[in-house]
Amino acid sequence: MAQDMTLLWGSGSPPCWRVMIALEEKKLQGYNSVLLSFDKMEHKSQQVLDINPRGQVPSFKHGDIIVNESYAACFYLESRFKSQGTKLIPDGPEEQALMYQRMFEGLSLYDKLGAVIFYDYYVPEGERLESALKRNKETLVTELKLWEGYLEKLGSGSYLAGKAFTMTDVVVFPTVATAFRFGLSAERYPKLGAYHALMKERPSIKASWPPHWLENPKGQDTLKDI
Amino acid sequence: MAKDMTLLWGPGSPPCWRVMIALEEKGLQGYNSKQLSFEKGEHKGKDVLAINPRGQLPAFKHGNITLNESYGACIYLEEQFKGQGNKLTPENKAELALMYQRMFEGQSLFYDRFVPEGERHDSAKQRFAGQLKDEIKLWEGYMQATGPYLAGKSFSLADVIVFPVIAFLFRFGLNEEHFPKLAAYHNTVKDRPSVKNTWPPNWKDTPGMDALKNL
Repeated sequence: MAQDMTLLWGSGSPPCWRVMIALEEKKLQGYNSVLLSFDKMEHKSQQVLDINPRGQVPSFKHGDIIVNESYAACFYLESRFKSQGTKLIPDGPEEQALMYQRMFEGLSLYDKLGAVIFYDYYVPEGERLESALKRNKETLVTELKLWEGYLEKLGSGSYLAGKAFTMTDVVVFPTVATAFRFGLSAERYPKLGAYHALMKERPSIKASWPPHWLENPKGQDTLKDI
Repeated sequence: MAKDMTLLWGPGSPPCWRVMIALEEKGLQGYNSKQLSFEKGEHKGKDVLAINPRGQLPAFKHGNITLNESYGACIYLEEQFKGQGNKLTPENKAELALMYQRMFEGQSLFYDRFVPEGERHDSAKQRFAGQLKDEIKLWEGYMQATGPYLAGKSFSLADVIVFPVIAFLFRFGLNEEHFPKLAAYHNTVKDRPSVKNTWPPNWKDTPGMDALKNL
């Protein structure tokens, strides 16, 4: 099964990391794993374009089936491999609803984080404005405080959508990890800090940790003062 | 069941419309439906904040459960009401994969950039218009390759999620001659009961806009 799967990915990309965590959790190790370099623009290479006309990673193939959107790939894998590995979607309506709610709120967190740490990447030089970056930082702080609140309410040792690890953690943890990589302070955001510390030890996450983060343990400090 | 559900929504908002289509498709008519006005700022009112601290619509409750993310609500309704209404997830694995793929690509199509007046650059506007055109062309291509629905033979969650955005684009003047396959898709799905019954009330008697006619 895993041998019929191919994942093209880049180190440190949260969307790629989501799919890798899902593959680990569903016991699909052994897939063809193709690490590409963003710096060398390999995500725009023919190899990627053959699977994903958008020239984006992750690009994922399972036999003839292609699913390139990270959330889509996660849903697909859970649907196809329901009976193996970790159960990622709880059955109970309340647990399920909270899981979906937080999963999709996770997209807000990802966008707002990107608007700060990748501001210069997204906005051409001539359009950059101090006022815009400042506003983006304020927006991110509001968002992070919301997530601190969510974790506070669930109690210590919990996962993002409750007492069990779910798909919410698969898709949102990479975003949280990225925030800390870019200098987010665990003192200012203790609940997120504790969640990050808990998750770092999970086998699926250790196995898929971005290689260049291992090579350079020190990240950036863009977010240290927010 | 539907009586235990409440939806706060605003007319013309694709995320709200998605949930309304899903409720109709699953035979859950009879839910408490509360239409609010964006123009009057009602989406930031106490009613909404009590359900959705983000002050956004849709805001959806089912008994104790709250789901304010349109994708989340649609998937939840399909999962929880599998045995009733229309099946929104294909059995066939390849179609299911395509459904998920198009559902989530739908986020690229739903293009909502709000930039404060002092920060709008012509170069940005041009770039966004270019990106939007390329994105719509991609979808035209998808509809050339498959049909009549986004994931193939059956109406699915992909259509629930993406159709409102396509409708929004045509409402804003997207040219049927430039995008004939999308126009055909739009015209097919427009007549589906769940879509007719939830068509934005403010669209019925007023003309649309032509912002996109030259795209």
